[in-house]
Amino acid sequence: MSVTTPNMAFEAAHFMRPASEVMRLARMGSGHPTRLSFLHILLRRLGSSEWQIDRPVWNVDANGVGHGVYRVKSAEQTYSLVAFAHDLPDEMRSDRVIATAWDATFTLFDGDPTPNDIARLADNVPYQEAGRISSKELTLARANRSVRLFRHVVEALSQGRQPDAKEMNAVGYLMRTTAVYGSGKFGASDRDDIAQRPELAAPFQVEMLTVWLIRAFTVDIVEHIAAANGGAHAVKLDRDTRRLLGVGNSTGLGMAPFIVRHPVLLNNWMMARETALARVRAQTSAIAASIAGLETALAAATLNAAAWHSEHPVQVRKLHDLRRDLDLIASQLATFDWTVSLPWNDLWEWGENTLTYEGQEALLALMLEPHGALIDDLAEHMGADEAASFRINGAMSVADLRRILETEYAWALAIDFTTPENIARFWYVSEEKLEPRLGERASEDGATLELPLCIARLAAELYRTVQNYDETKPVAALLLAHPEHRYAVRRVQIANNHPYAEVQDNLIAADMLPIDLLRCKLAYFGASQFDPRSDRWVRINLFAGAPFPDEIKAEGAV
Amino acid sequence: MSMDPHDQTRGDSTPFFSDDQPAPLSCNEAASLCLKAARGAGMSWGMAEEAGFAAAWLVSHGIDGPSYLRAHLERADGKDWDDLCPLVTPTTWRNTADQPVCPIILGVTLCDYADLPEGLRPNICIPLGFVSAPILLVPFLTELSLRNSLSITLSWPHGTMCIEGKESSFEAALHLLGTLQLDLTVSAKDAQPCRPNATSTPNAHTTAATVAALNSFAMRTTVPASAASRASAGSTLSDND
Repeated sequence: MSVTTPNMAFEAAHFMRPASEVMRLARMGSGHPTRLSFLHILLRRLGSSEWQIDRPVWNVDANGVGHGVYRVKSAEQTYSLVAFAHDLPDEMRSDRVIATAWDATFTLFDGDPTPNDIARLADNVPYQEAGRISSKELTLARANRSVRLFRHVVEALSQGRQPDAKEMNAVGYLMRTTAVYGSGKFGASDRDDIAQRPELAAPFQVEMLTVWLIRAFTVDIVEHIAAANGGAHAVKLDRDTRRLLGVGNSTGLGMAPFIVRHPVLLNNWMMARETALARVRAQTSAIAASIAGLETALAAATLNAAAWHSEHPVQVRKLHDLRRDLDLIASQLATFDWTVSLPWNDLWEWGENTLTYEGQEALLALMLEPHGALIDDLAEHMGADEAASFRINGAMSVADLRRILETEYAWALAIDFTTPENIARFWYVSEEKLEPRLGERASEDGATLELPLCIARLAAELYRTVQNYDETKPVAALLLAHPEHRYAVRRVQIANNHPYAEVQDNLIAADMLPIDLLRCKLAYFGASQFDPRSDRWVRINLFAGAPFPDEIKAEGAV
Repeated sequence: MSMDPHDQTRGDSTPFFSDDQPAPLSCNEAASLCLKAARGAGMSWGMAEEAGFAAAWLVSHGIDGPSYLRAHLERADGKDWDDLCPLVTPTTWRNTADQPVCPIILGVTLCDYADLPEGLRPNICIPLGFVSAPILLVPFLTELSLRNSLSITLSWPHGTMCIEGKESSFEAALHLLGTLQLDLTVSAKDAQPCRPNATSTPNAHTTAATVAALNSFAMRTTVPASAASRASAGSTLSDND
């Protein structure tokens, strides 16, 4: 796959936002999905290519227990979601990684599974982390019902009614996934072995395909149980009602370290989005279709913001800001002068001067939406060949390393790591569940086992060493004398040619909000309705409003 | 695998192998487990990443890298850096105390010095002294040979082997270098530029015993649970909604 730098006309380069603006937690924590989000990339491909989608196996009993297979097939490849439906007592239902049983479990099989494959998977997939899958499988996932909505929908459909719209809107999904593992986890296929396939080159495409097919399963299973309960009275979900349903996802701190541990990947995601914005801003005119597309996107965003609920005080405030900002955008568009020389840039600069981060990042997504022809190629640049930047350049002089630190890490060197509030937290892995957690340095044990996630402090420590080291010497000599800095040196050399590689904030500060890291990543996935359940635990919705397998061909590219 | 659904829930790729079962890890799992084990055995985070790289590279070339890393970590556990690293001089890279050098540190340092006067360049011969689990050098030397178009030769009292980035040479590597330690000299000459071999070898399996041993090193990097850590880990709200 291509991981080259996207083409950037000189004019567009002028409109790029600097990393010092983009890579701050407060702004990353206000991210919105865009047409470059991974689930939208997947839907565009499924809608525009020769993919046949069917459900060759449905072997589920009247209690909703059994298995089904959903198949996505092209001339070259077949992918099959093998779904296992279980009967889970309420007291065993938990979204945490500590759960041991789920309402449904899944794997995405690479090809057409044989009965032997299904039997092997039935012995493993329901046990999730305690089972093993193989290089024939691409993902491992599980989901729990939204007890309230699932029950309501079964009851309504079995009695021949459509579910109550208010209930549907309040939850938005029948099931939520609590983990979707890929990339070689639990024996699955390594990403390196599949990343060459065009349909999997963009990040997280097997995970997104898994979730999209799970969405179809959640509707099939609810209709199946309703039919079993209601017999001839039962009805199916209206297509319009069904369309509103997404798949919920519940996720916690485990996801937060990912974007810190994958600096080249993070850079490429950010670079693609920022390049897209720059291209849109650089246009010297606005055509009517794009203006109309912007207005349609604004209407959809306004509806989404109205339906978006959260009880978390931080998110409540942000939702208030977002709704107000979307109103401001609507007023601005009502009288906006599109005949100026750089109309999209004028709109953007107005937004920067007027809107909160929530509104600005929403405006970014809105401005990208009608410009598919201009920016969709950037999706090709969002993957990363991480091996290519792994090897350290030992011949670089310590003086050059120091210069990179002073320019690319000035934000980090400015942090005073001697004050308690700036080192208040530490990231660690819990022995109990091997999940990443965040501790309080002053009151909890374990800080000696801190994970290297506070890049700012690591950079500052490296800088202190470098200041006292012969700067004519090569990095190779520095690392032989100071092996403890190898991790930071690799980061610094990566940051030298990947401007968006680092989150430019103190990730162990007392006031750091882990949900900001989660929101950034989830927005790239394409998640909507970000709903924090604490400062480190969040629920979201994926694919709400998107076509189902039986609709996507008719609708073509999204 | 365990059929008991109550003894599970590891937030990472810790497999459940036992006895003499072969353990087919993905490369990602091998890299992740070996990184944590190496860190647990005392390597810095950046060096532990290199250990993960080397072990996974060997797995993807059909060699049980995790077992060789385990053997090395068990020998090196508790040793100081000075007893594991080479002393880089223009004429020799032997360890100061003549201890067997860590193959990860040595491999990384050969790569770090690749373009420097003390490094491995054409028509240069460097005595390395005893190297622990020398097969773990192969991933680094192969990278070096590809990057700088070198044909690299390792020699020891009763043998030699050449590394040119070709797949066929790895079987020979396993046979010759799959040993506890060797007294090595490395030399290089110019070679035709070549690309990594595209033919894919099935991943090597490791063993349940190796997974268990590496896991016990890896567990040293984890923090025991406390009431505070449990309380803040998840949602404070019920999931039955």
